[in-house]
Amino acid sequence: MRVILADDAVLFREGMARILAEIGFTIVDHVTDAASLVERVRSDPPDVVITDLRMPPGFADEGIEAAAAIRSFAPQVGLMLLSQYVEVHHALRLMNEFSGGVGYLLKDRVSDLGAFATDVRRVAAGDVVIDPELVALLVGRRRQHDPIARLSEREREVLGLMARGLSNAALSSELHLSPKTVEGYVSSIFTKLDLAPDQRENRRVLAVLRFLRDQ
Amino acid sequence: MSSPEAVVRGRDGTEQQLSDDAPSFARETVVGLSALLVAGLLVYGWSLGFHLQNAHNGLIAGSFTAVGLYVVRMRPRHREARLFLAVGMLHAVMFVGRQHGLHEAPLAGAAWLGWLGVWPLPLAIAVSGWALMAFPDGRLLSRRWRLPLGVMLGTATVMSLVSALWPVEHERMGLVAGHPLDVPGADAVAAMWRYAGAAYLGFQALWTAAVVVRLRRAQGDERRQLLWLVYAVVMALVLLVASMVVLGSAVPGLLALPLIPLAAAAAILKYRLYDIDPVVSKTIVIGAMLTVATAGYVAVVVGVGALVPAPDGLLSILATALVALVFAPLRLRARRLADRIVYGPRVTPYEALSQLSTQLSTAREGLLDGIAATVRNAVGATEVVVWVGDEGHLVPTSVWPGPVDTEPATLAELGGAQRHVRPVRHHGTVRGALTFRKPVGEPLSADEDRLLDDLVAQTGLVIVNEAQRAELQAAARRIVSAQDAARRRIERDLHDGTQQRLVTLGLELGALAERAEASGGADLANRVMSARTQLLDATSELRELARGLHPSVLTQAGLPDALRTLADRSSVPVRLDVDLAERPPVEVEATVYFLVSEALTNAARHAEASLATVVLARDKSALRVEVTDDGKGGARLGDGSGLQGLADRLAALGANLELDSPLGGGTRLGTVIPCA
Repeated sequence: MRVILADDAVLFREGMARILAEIGFTIVDHVTDAASLVERVRSDPPDVVITDLRMPPGFADEGIEAAAAIRSFAPQVGLMLLSQYVEVHHALRLMNEFSGGVGYLLKDRVSDLGAFATDVRRVAAGDVVIDPELVALLVGRRRQHDPIARLSEREREVLGLMARGLSNAALSSELHLSPKTVEGYVSSIFTKLDLAPDQRENRRVLAVLRFLRDQ
Repeated sequence: MSSPEAVVRGRDGTEQQLSDDAPSFARETVVGLSALLVAGLLVYGWSLGFHLQNAHNGLIAGSFTAVGLYVVRMRPRHREARLFLAVGMLHAVMFVGRQHGLHEAPLAGAAWLGWLGVWPLPLAIAVSGWALMAFPDGRLLSRRWRLPLGVMLGTATVMSLVSALWPVEHERMGLVAGHPLDVPGADAVAAMWRYAGAAYLGFQALWTAAVVVRLRRAQGDERRQLLWLVYAVVMALVLLVASMVVLGSAVPGLLALPLIPLAAAAAILKYRLYDIDPVVSKTIVIGAMLTVATAGYVAVVVGVGALVPAPDGLLSILATALVALVFAPLRLRARRLADRIVYGPRVTPYEALSQLSTQLSTAREGLLDGIAATVRNAVGATEVVVWVGDEGHLVPTSVWPGPVDTEPATLAELGGAQRHVRPVRHHGTVRGALTFRKPVGEPLSADEDRLLDDLVAQTGLVIVNEAQRAELQAAARRIVSAQDAARRRIERDLHDGTQQRLVTLGLELGALAERAEASGGADLANRVMSARTQLLDATSELRELARGLHPSVLTQAGLPDALRTLADRSSVPVRLDVDLAERPPVEVEATVYFLVSEALTNAARHAEASLATVVLARDKSALRVEVTDDGKGGARLGDGSGLQGLADRLAALGANLELDSPLGGGTRLGTVIPCA
């Protein structure tokens, strides 16, 4: 799988390039800022881009801007955004602007190589990946009138995984359940929380994240 | 030959010529001939004898014509002057007619000339009313007054016609000859004429109302002009009533009638030279003195004389002594009363200074406004300006009556016509100035002068205090900004340096663990994994620390998103109500963020609240933020809760921390931060 890396921190970028190469990824190139990332992808589109969210020149959300540019001319390229912090508003924006093939993870996740490689492959395949910490934060929030309390333990687990971007197929392999059982849980959750079901993955994640945040 | 500054804009927007231009020969001729004509009529009239019931017509004719002609000579287009001329000439005709008709030995044509002296009366009254309504510029206050004026003139015309045809007003005039016409229906008309009195009353009511309304709306010059007229009318009425009551004769009162046109002339031509206020004030003083002295004298002579038998001479001496004794204190009181009536409340020096010190010790803002108001109260100034700055550049900071619309000036430029200037010095350096105007013709008294010295000294202190306060606040604000900048820099350094290194280290450890496991070293792999977990915990702690220093979301996305993030992470449910159209200054943003963060932490950690509400609203000049919770309350400043630091930070931005946290009653933490 061909990857382009973008991060302004040299040590981290080079460490990641080396380790990803060791576990079988082909590192096409690694760059230090958003502009050269867009340029590099334009000249030779990889399967997936792994980029820092906060980069020069403004150290704001250059990663997202670059991702949006790439999506406009190379929609097949998977986009994995890494950050020192994960923020709900960034997650919502990503789910809103990208119909799939996008991930948003804490940089810390990289140290669990196996899981990270899986997440990168899922993004390259068009899936959605949201950082578990962000989801845990939202699921664990105390609420005044808590609709989550209406869910069973298992349903709550499924809800969290849905928020992280897992598809029904991914859910059934993660939870070792039959696809039919998973479908049952999902539709039960949607009914109990009064959410409109949507087959598109990013829409489903968006609905769940919004629900978790606003309730 | 008109000077440019004398051209002012009239109420209707047209430019009016106020200057006196040199009369042309033709105008001089017309004016001279008119004057000769009226003078001839009057001389002839007066030569026929004195008749009390007709004397006022002669006086009105002479005075109004003279004033009208004088003003017309100066300003031929002045409408009010023309009205005055009409009044004067109508009365001249009536005067001569009646003098002729009143002559005891009937003169030739007594019936017709007498008739001419009677029937124009309603018209003459209506035109006089018109002149009063249109004073001082000859124009009505607004179009709405045209209808009532038209009704008055129409009614008067009809009444004059009736009076010309039938002898309805003839008898009470005491003319030697009867009405020269004998038109049938005299009885019926006489019966109807009983309502004429009501019409006259209506005329009076109309012009009185017009003058009162006009006086209430008038400002500046027009108000002064009107005051002259009102003063003359009131004086004439008072003299008329007084002469009737005291002397039993209307003659002195009638002699006062020319006061009205004279005052009107003064108002039209010279109102800028003579201010009415001192005249009114002195009239009140003299009137009050006369009344009280007379009353005292009469009381002693008549009252004591009736009780104790004493020679008249002794009583007179006693009364005179008594009046002399009370004269000085009486004059003072009368003077104060008059000043109060004319200039509004004016306080004693002691009152002024104690009012000021109360104001200085309680109010925090608008101290200079307080000084301006105190100066106004203390010396009865018509305008007070407090200037702040140095000798070369003084900025008008407070103006009574506001608003501030004066340009900055140097100390040397401040003086001017009728304007008193007091430089404000502190340790010998000019820090500002006080300027004020007093009513024209009223000098600064020695008392007021001393009081001003005290006020100027106080003003110096206020200006210096104000400057120091502003410097302190600016310094505090700079400290807050510098602190924020330092926090942002440290967060950035952590993000780009330490955090990146730790994450890279985690990456290496992860790779090491994989390798150890692949090469069969399960124990080594476990130890590496455990080291990695500890490293991740440390990274996580550092992340939270950096977030607390300065949340990157605040810089990147602004307050609403940053507050949303706080709400997301709060362990107490948070209701957000954020209304913010544009971004406030960075230090204000950061302060609001820290306030909400502190309040939410407090709600979760100490208050055991079940709901917190954050309200943020912005208007033109300030940002209002308020966080309330339903917890157990009891939060205090300075018990290590971080609230004191917050209060200091807010003070640097010119805001107060409002903390309301009764035990068991929830906590409300709020502030209003000024930001333009």
